[in-house]
Amino acid sequence: MVGIAIVLVAAAGLLFIGLLIYGIGIYNGLIQVKNNIKKSWANIDVLLKQRTDELPKLIESVKGYMAHERGVLEKVTEARTQFLSATTVAEKAQADNVMTQAIKSLFAVAENYPNLKANENFLQLQGRISGIENEIADRREFYNDSVNTYNIRIASIPDLFVARMMGLQPEEMFKTTEADRQDVQVKFA
Amino acid sequence: MDLRFDDLLGGTVVGFFAGIAFFFNGFRTLKRKHLIENTPTSKVRSLAMGQVEVSGAAAPWKETLAAPFTEHACLYYSYTIEEYRRSGKSSRWVTVDKENRGVPFLLRDETGAVLVDPAWADVDIPEDYQEVSGMGNDPSTKVQGFVRQKGISFEGFLGVNKKMRFTEYHIAPQDRVFILGTAADNPYVKEATAIEGIADVMIQKGPKGSCYYIADKSEKECLRSHAWGTAAQVYGGAALTVACLVYILAQMHLF
Repeated sequence: MVGIAIVLVAAAGLLFIGLLIYGIGIYNGLIQVKNNIKKSWANIDVLLKQRTDELPKLIESVKGYMAHERGVLEKVTEARTQFLSATTVAEKAQADNVMTQAIKSLFAVAENYPNLKANENFLQLQGRISGIENEIADRREFYNDSVNTYNIRIASIPDLFVARMMGLQPEEMFKTTEADRQDVQVKFA
Repeated sequence: MDLRFDDLLGGTVVGFFAGIAFFFNGFRTLKRKHLIENTPTSKVRSLAMGQVEVSGAAAPWKETLAAPFTEHACLYYSYTIEEYRRSGKSSRWVTVDKENRGVPFLLRDETGAVLVDPAWADVDIPEDYQEVSGMGNDPSTKVQGFVRQKGISFEGFLGVNKKMRFTEYHIAPQDRVFILGTAADNPYVKEATAIEGIADVMIQKGPKGSCYYIADKSEKECLRSHAWGTAAQVYGGAALTVACLVYILAQMHLF
């Protein structure tokens, strides 16, 4: 009898410890996926700011050549202003879409100005901004993967119970517009 | 209480504690499985500093190594040399020598390449080569050359070959690798001469407690093997502990 009691206590102890560690694992995992979203957003935000900082230089380098394209330049300036005043993720995502379109239009119009296309400074800025655009696209995908992982976890059993106790709510993805997904062909001389 | 401490009982006591160790190690495996699941795969071009997960083809950076037994060009290798030994009624493989070595290499995906330093990584790769030598069966010439260099003899009493097992694991150029590690400053690039971007980053061992895992399989396969490892260690460890406890208590006539 004593032996059976010892074995049962040991088995119950292992079960209890196992469940406790598993529960702590779920809690820590949810904290981790929540933090992944914050971190991946911060990583996008850094690039969005970098791109925004490059815009005044870009406008400065093109305005001498594109004096008759005031509309295009104003759109870029407006998009920059919209981004700088955006505070939430949704607002920044919206401003990013507007800015991406404005920059694409500017690069497309620049095709009509051979002197501008030959300008070293413009080409460097174009290369830098295009590089940042590519990185933003990758990190946006990463951000959406992070949000997706989080949203699936907080809706799955058994994580759902812990997530409810922690008051976790689903997060929104970084949406892009249909126009943003279209490539604008920029040909170099 | 009449307790006779023989080999079997000794083994059972060891099994009891080994079971507990397996049980807790299972949760470590589960933690890493969750970490792999929770971390989205980054593209090399847009790697951010900190814990990252990347996947791509391994490529040489400055140098390659020669794998010990096959002499294949590789970027990382580990090997074990084991000897089959008998002790009383029992016999087992005993590790005589083991070592691992790696050189910084590049991981290339469709967006670019990043430097990886495999030092201190937990490398999970299947065996690439194994041979067993024994009586009337000499090790291959390459293996003989390597073990001689190491000062290990594969011959025993009267020059008769000992039963030995030689196992090699390696990561070769072009192997697909999956890495969960820390992206940090590349120590091989001087700040003043750094080319901006991915050239400034190297994947390496992160701060204490962070995970650094390299495998030459896909993320799905890694998750599958971690799931199996977790189940085997947690349930197997618990079962082993309870079974050993039952045996010990039975020996103590408490059953």
